[in-house]
Amino acid sequence: MSETHLPVERLSIILGEFKDVRVRKRGDRRTRVDVEPDALPALLELLKGRSGFVHLSAISCVDWPDDDQFELVYHLWSYELQLLVSVHTRIARDPGVYVSVYDIYHPAGFFERDIHEMYGVFFEGAPDMEKFILTEWDGPPPMRKEFDSEAWVNDHFDWQNYRPDWLIELEQQGGGIVIPPDEQRFSRRGMQEPDDES
Amino acid sequence: MSDNELVNQQFPVKVEQPGGSGNIFARVFDELTAFCRSRSLFILHYCTGCGAIELPPAMTSRFDMERLGISPMVSPRQADILLITGYVSVKTLKRVILTYEQMGSPKYVIGICSCTVNGGMYWQSYATAKKLNDYMPVDLYIAGCMPRPEAVITGLRQLMENIRRGEANGWQDYYQRYDHYLGHQQRLFGETWQTPTDVIAEAKHYGLFSNETLGEHTKLLQQHQKPLEALEMRLGLDSKDKVEP
Repeated sequence: MSETHLPVERLSIILGEFKDVRVRKRGDRRTRVDVEPDALPALLELLKGRSGFVHLSAISCVDWPDDDQFELVYHLWSYELQLLVSVHTRIARDPGVYVSVYDIYHPAGFFERDIHEMYGVFFEGAPDMEKFILTEWDGPPPMRKEFDSEAWVNDHFDWQNYRPDWLIELEQQGGGIVIPPDEQRFSRRGMQEPDDES
Repeated sequence: MSDNELVNQQFPVKVEQPGGSGNIFARVFDELTAFCRSRSLFILHYCTGCGAIELPPAMTSRFDMERLGISPMVSPRQADILLITGYVSVKTLKRVILTYEQMGSPKYVIGICSCTVNGGMYWQSYATAKKLNDYMPVDLYIAGCMPRPEAVITGLRQLMENIRRGEANGWQDYYQRYDHYLGHQQRLFGETWQTPTDVIAEAKHYGLFSNETLGEHTKLLQQHQKPLEALEMRLGLDSKDKVEP
């Protein structure tokens, strides 16, 4: 038995050290790992330090309102193994607080900041949780499933009333865009009469 | 045009108006001015959305916008036309309004692409402003997703024609009904919205002050309006900005 293992062996050894890890091979170069939230930082530390997963491509967040959970996915890439490991974990939606992995992967700072403003998840220990892209946004986190984009739009913006003459003529002949109001794709506020601005 | 008559009674400054008196020579110089104005236009080289990709072909050799006397210009002070090419997010809209107010009058706005008309494919987006003419006067819309360079050229020719006939009066509308536009801006940006430009003073300067220039929204503006301050200058990093402990 030699001291040096192949990188793939090292990966399986690392994953074997954790009890509640579920590993699924999704393809030749993709592996999905499901892990409990309290074990995730340690797993990332080991993956980076002992198996060469030095590149954190992204952190993505999935909202599962039915389970009352957020799913955080850490996409790790190893240049050595040419392998993408996505580490999935689920945290409670309320209060939606998780620990930052900025100390392990510095690019995580950006992803966490982004997730914070899009989903409202707070990352403890992150260097900066200020606004990032939505600097002038004061509404609720817009990527949450319960955020009703259409209602927000109807509440904050006006629609142009577009009723050209040819459409009016068509409607008078019984044609045109005949959709019942409850089936219309966007609910115009009150469906005002056409403006006589022009 | 009752507003203009009102203004003429209150202020001796002459306001240009289409149509007019029986003397056929009375408006010769006005028409000459309008003609010359329509034949030398600078487009502000500030493009807000994806429709801007149609402008390079419109400017370069095939369609050659410059043969119409229209060419790009980098600074708002020297520009006549502001092209809103594509979607305006709320963030962008603030900058667009700032840019528009910096332009010298007369100034014209063209909304290109469906997004400026009604949000286009971003109709459901929480961040995209629909109906651009709520927030600033739009002289002309060129619809399409995206309009081809031919359509852009046609739109510009239409604008030239409108200017020549004295019908492109959106900028006058902005001064005359500033309260209306400011109200929509405040609704979107919050009640503390303020631009550095003093539009009310400019309205008086141009003789376009009307009874709709001031209103409840401008009253709100004057409550919190702060005079301009010089930009703060900082050298080096604050301790907060440092990355390494």
